[in-house]
Amino acid sequence: MKISINLLPPETIAEERQKSRFYKIQFIGIAVILIMVFLASLTLALQVLQSRNISVARAQLSEEEQKVVNLKSTQASLLLLKNRLTVINQYLGVSSKSSALYRLIDKLVPPSVVVNSINIDKGGDMTLSALVADSVSLDDLLDSLVSKDDKENKISQVSIQSLGRGRDGQYRISFKIGLK
Amino acid sequence: MKKENIIKFYLKYRFYLFPAAVFLSSLFLIIFAIYPQTVKLINNQKVAGDLTNKSKLLEAKVFALESYDKEDLSQKVGVALAVLPADKDFLDVLGLLQEQAVQSGFSITSVALGNTSNKAGSASSYTVKLEMKGSKVLFQGLLDKLENSSRLTKVGSIDIISRQTTQSIDTSLEVDVLYSQLPKDFEKVDSPLPELSKEDEDLIASLIKNSTTISKPEEIQQTPRGKSNPFE
Repeated sequence: MKISINLLPPETIAEERQKSRFYKIQFIGIAVILIMVFLASLTLALQVLQSRNISVARAQLSEEEQKVVNLKSTQASLLLLKNRLTVINQYLGVSSKSSALYRLIDKLVPPSVVVNSINIDKGGDMTLSALVADSVSLDDLLDSLVSKDDKENKISQVSIQSLGRGRDGQYRISFKIGLK
Repeated sequence: MKKENIIKFYLKYRFYLFPAAVFLSSLFLIIFAIYPQTVKLINNQKVAGDLTNKSKLLEAKVFALESYDKEDLSQKVGVALAVLPADKDFLDVLGLLQEQAVQSGFSITSVALGNTSNKAGSASSYTVKLEMKGSKVLFQGLLDKLENSSRLTKVGSIDIISRQTTQSIDTSLEVDVLYSQLPKDFEKVDSPLPELSKEDEDLIASLIKNSTTISKPEEIQQTPRGKSNPFE
C-alpha cells in the first residue's frame, strides 16, 4: 500500500491550479484567433478566385456582345419583319365593317328590288333606298332583312325611314340598317 | 518600475484581460474582414451568375441569328415593307388605287386626300376619298381588290347611287391606307430576339406570292416586225 503525501504549501498548489486554468484559457483564445484569421484568409482567397471568374465571364460576355453587334443588321431585319407581320396579320384578309355589310346586303336584297342608293358609314350604319315593283317583292325584301338566317346575325336593327307608293304603282322605301 | 507595475496588473487580472483581448481582436476581424468579404462574396456570386446567364443568352441569340439567311430575310423585309411601309407614300398609293380601279372596270372621276393621321390600332392610316363610275356588277370585285391589295388598305365609308337604266353606279369610297412607324429599339444588344412562328412564315409566303403575281410583268412576245432585211 502506497501513501502519497503532498508536502507543497497550499499557496503553491493554488498558484499551480490557477496557472493550468490560465493555460486552458490561453489555448482556447489562441484557437479562436487562429480560426478568425483562417476565416478571414479563406474569404479573401475565395474573393480573389471569384474576381478571376468574374473577369473571365465579363470577357466572354463582351465577346458575345461583339458577335451580336456584328450581326445587328440581321437582328434589325428580324425585328422589323416580326413587327410588320404582327401588324399585317391584324388587318390582312379582315373585311372592314362597311364592305362586309355591303356584301351581306347585296346577298340579301332580292333581284326584283332596284336599289337606288346605298350609304354605309365607317361605323357600319347603312342607309338604303330602293324601288320595289309590288307588295310581294316588298314583303320579300323586308322578310329577307329581318328574318333570314344567312344574315349571319350581323344586323342588329332595320328601321324604315320612309315608305311611299308612286303614281307608277311602285313602292319607294328607305331604311336604316344597323350592325351589331 | 512602470513595466513591473503593468506586469503585476496583468498577472492580477489576466483571467479577464486575455479573454477580453481575444474577444476584441476576434470582433475586429469579424467587423473589418470576415463580414464585409462574405457580403462581397455573396454579391459577386450573384453578379457572376448574371454575367454567365447573359453570356449564355447572347450565345443562343448569336446562334439563332447565324441560322438566318441574310438575303432571304432582307427579301422578306422588303415585301413586308411594301405591304405596310413606314411612310405615307401618297404618290404610289394613288397610282395603285387608280390601277386597281381600272382593273376592276371603274374609272376614277376625282381623288381627294382626307384625314392624314388617323390611329388604326397598332398602325396609323390616312384616308383617300375616291369618286368612281362603273358597273354595279363589278363593285364587289373592286371591294375585294382594294381589301387584298399589295398595300394594306381598308374600305371605310361607301356611297353608291345607281342609275336604273344602265346598271351603272356612281360611287364614293373612303379608303384607309395603313402605314406604321419603324420600331425604335433595333440596336439594343440585349433586346430579346423574336421568333418567326409557323403563322408568320405562312403569312410572309402568301405576301411574297401575292407580290410576285402583282409585280410580274406580262410576257411580251418577241415576234419579228417588218422586213427581216430592210435593204432588200
